[in-house]
Amino acid sequence: MAQVVLKDVVKNYGDVYAVNHVSLTVEDGEFVALVGPSGCGKTTTLNLVAGLIPMSGGTISIGDRDVTDLDPKDRDIAMVFQNYALYPQKSVYKNLAFPLQMRKLPKDEIDKRVQAAAKTLDIVHLLERKPRELSGGQQQRVALGRALVREPRAFLMDEPLSNLDAKLRVQMRSEIKRFHQDLNATIIYVTHDQLEAVTMSDKMAVMNGGFLQQYDSPANVFANPVNMFVASFVGSPAMSLVPLTAVTKGTDVVLASPEGWELPLNAANAKKALSAKSNKVVLGGRHSTIKVHKAQVPGSVPGKVYTVEPTGDVTFAQVFVSGAVVNVSVDPTFLLRPDEPVFIEFDQNRMHLFDGETEMALKLAD
Amino acid sequence: MTAITEAAVTQRKGAGGWRWSGRIFLLLLLGFTVMPMIWMFITSLKTGFAAMQYPPQWWPSEPTLENYWRLIDPSGSVGRDFVQYFLNSVWVSTLTTILAVVVAVPAAYAFSRFRFPGRTFLFFAVLLRNMFPAVVFLVPLFILMKALGLVNTHGSLILTYLTFGLPLAIWLLKGFYDNIPVQLEQAARIDGATRFQAFFLIVMPLSTPGIIATSIYSFIGAWNEYIYAYTFLTRHDQMTLPVGIQRFFSENATDWPGLMAATFMMSIPVVVLFLVLQRYFVRALTEGAVKH
Amino acid sequence: MSTVQGQAIFRDVPEPKRVGLRQKVWNSRFDYLYVAPAIIVMLIVIGYPIYYTIELSFFNTPASLALSAKQFNGLDNYVTILTSPIFWKVTWQTVVWTVVSTFFAFMIGLGAALALHREFAGRGVLRAILLIPWVVSAVAASYVWKWLYHSDFGAISAMLTQVGLVDKPINFIDNTSTSLYALIVVNVWKEFSFAMIMLMAGLQTVPDTLLRAAQVDGASPWQRFWHVTFPHLRGVSMVTLLLLAVQNFNSFIIPWIMTGGGPAGSSDIWITHIYQLAFGRQRWGVASAYAVILFIVMMVLGYFYVRALTKGDDARAAT
Repeated sequence: MAQVVLKDVVKNYGDVYAVNHVSLTVEDGEFVALVGPSGCGKTTTLNLVAGLIPMSGGTISIGDRDVTDLDPKDRDIAMVFQNYALYPQKSVYKNLAFPLQMRKLPKDEIDKRVQAAAKTLDIVHLLERKPRELSGGQQQRVALGRALVREPRAFLMDEPLSNLDAKLRVQMRSEIKRFHQDLNATIIYVTHDQLEAVTMSDKMAVMNGGFLQQYDSPANVFANPVNMFVASFVGSPAMSLVPLTAVTKGTDVVLASPEGWELPLNAANAKKALSAKSNKVVLGGRHSTIKVHKAQVPGSVPGKVYTVEPTGDVTFAQVFVSGAVVNVSVDPTFLLRPDEPVFIEFDQNRMHLFDGETEMALKLAD
Repeated sequence: MTAITEAAVTQRKGAGGWRWSGRIFLLLLLGFTVMPMIWMFITSLKTGFAAMQYPPQWWPSEPTLENYWRLIDPSGSVGRDFVQYFLNSVWVSTLTTILAVVVAVPAAYAFSRFRFPGRTFLFFAVLLRNMFPAVVFLVPLFILMKALGLVNTHGSLILTYLTFGLPLAIWLLKGFYDNIPVQLEQAARIDGATRFQAFFLIVMPLSTPGIIATSIYSFIGAWNEYIYAYTFLTRHDQMTLPVGIQRFFSENATDWPGLMAATFMMSIPVVVLFLVLQRYFVRALTEGAVKH
Repeated sequence: MSTVQGQAIFRDVPEPKRVGLRQKVWNSRFDYLYVAPAIIVMLIVIGYPIYYTIELSFFNTPASLALSAKQFNGLDNYVTILTSPIFWKVTWQTVVWTVVSTFFAFMIGLGAALALHREFAGRGVLRAILLIPWVVSAVAASYVWKWLYHSDFGAISAMLTQVGLVDKPINFIDNTSTSLYALIVVNVWKEFSFAMIMLMAGLQTVPDTLLRAAQVDGASPWQRFWHVTFPHLRGVSMVTLLLLAVQNFNSFIIPWIMTGGGPAGSSDIWITHIYQLAFGRQRWGVASAYAVILFIVMMVLGYFYVRALTKGDDARAAT
């Protein structure tokens, strides 16, 4: 296994940038999720690492080797595709053996490794079948097996779970995680599902519009999103964002809504709000940090219930606050009705403030 | 609820009428289609005398296979020539097919997968060829063949048959390659294959149905070709069937039963080929034109 | 500590790197190896003849095809064509032949495709039989139909007489007023199943759910066809009509074998006319000029043809 380093990687088609100056380092044995909405450049980035498409600029190295100009076959990587890309005319055994044959390993060595991989993935009984005779989950295992048998320097996975049904996906998720731990493998994993990224990865690289937005551990990305895009992309339900105006009132700073209500800020938040480029400030809060009251309490703002979704353990609700939708969660015993007026209280210590113009998170200067 | 039931009822009534008109239409169409073929066969069973009667004998009073024996009996002059034409046709069609497919496979693959400068232009050129009738090429090709000393040889036919065989093969095969997921080759390249190995070891075996279909097309196209053969060949020992069977025809004393037997024999190989491999044939044709 | 690498809103988008054409060609040099054999063959058997046809169209070449004796005569060949009354007669006949054949082949094919769309016993066999005219050689078809049309012993005349529709045999093809239409029937017989097979494939792309939704909404079978099925067939219909039109415009075998363009040129169309000029009367220059005009007409049609065939082609992923 090895470290993978991307330096200033660019892929453009004319004026369109699929990947725009992306740099990131995947440490040896690390599981990194490339995550973002479709068209954000994550799959292109993966294909660049694999060498399947030529780069427009930058360098990529795997281990101590610069692989920028190498063919995929010489990069010593393995890849699992979204549609599995199993060779339909070959049996499972031959699918697993193919990468070894290409490397001209002796026959008995090939057999040993294929059997071992099949055992690890519990597909020994499928070895003589053709891919079309397998279920989705079985095909997925075979695809993993084909990646595994070669003992590559890094694994690349392109949405490997998105073709599975929900139940199987959860199961395979833990298997892949297990696979990572057992092999201490370097894995770059592309997904559009932030939940997959959060639950599986050591670090997640959030991409949007070809740019790398944030690269950090899931916990940090969740707690300190660098901008409004990351804030709204990571977490379920998404972080609620309410555009407001920062107003200084004597020594206090408040966030004012067009409807006329004002939300006073504590000292730290006031400092943040004043560091914005203009007085436009966006207030962000996760459902777990928001309290709902039926009557006004100090520091709460008025809203109106839109929908109520009981899930059993917890009831989610969407509340209109100053024209924006705010996701909240309440105890199932706390009954809410659509169109009911309520009061929302944001936790001052855990709320997020964003610059309304740059969309960047506002931070205290350290 | 009522609306749905009503709709269903009217639908059923309407559909009944449509289905019946559809069946009658198919029946008429079937008659139109097979009538000439049946008459060809019936005529081929007649003696020359029986064919020349009015009103015609709808079924020959004395059916005979004499016309067929004459065609395949190598001791007679007719049989000798006919067998020669037949073999010439087989030879020319087979060679054309092999050449067209061998040259078209890599080209079609490249047009499907690679994006090299000039690709669009070249592919348009390939497609455009199908637009032009043989006649446009006939005079210069005739001059070329004369210059190369190929007039009255099968080489002239095989070379010129590529003018239509190759573009068609490229187009058909490209349709097949377009439908093979590109990830298979990507997987192969990551698994250690070169680009060419990925093509040769993974894609080629998968495109076998496409190659079969393309081969049938090339073969049938070459088998049925008339205008080049008619222009380039004047020697009887070189002629292919479509040109050769003209000898049965003459303005004054056409041997109609003989001619019908010959057209029947000429049609057998392509019809059999078509019926056996129908599935591939139909798929190949519609692959490019219909996006699923 | 989080790291911010890029920020879509603020980061200046750098100037796109321009890759020169020469560089691009060099980068894809191996791609060309795949197409090289095909391109070389096509240059010899297609490119060269086209060039040569254009050249010949400006020359007066002796009947013997002695090229050393050919004389440049400018646009004379073209003038000869455009001022000849035969040109306009043949052009009109070509239009009739192409349009009428295409229309009937398409309509019959459409009817057959719709009637065959529903599953029933014997459908596969029926489809195969209907396709046979399309695979047999046009030469065979021409001889068979010539025999069916025969003025003395033809089966069609005989049938019509026996049924009592006519009282004496009709002369279908040795008759200046009917020859062209008699040939069109043969042509439609030969190629309607091509339209049928294309449209059958097209019909399979019509989503069942849409038809059912329309049914629930109370649409009659005709309305369902017109509002749901037909729009889905538009693409494949375009391709089919174009292919049929091109094929018909380029027809040679049926008119050549059945009538040779006669009687009195009444079934002469462009291709048979050009052939006759070249190989019948050795007027190489005029024939070439005809071919060039045809070439130009075809380029216009070809533009639409290629567009229809390559639709969506560039959306496909490249390696």
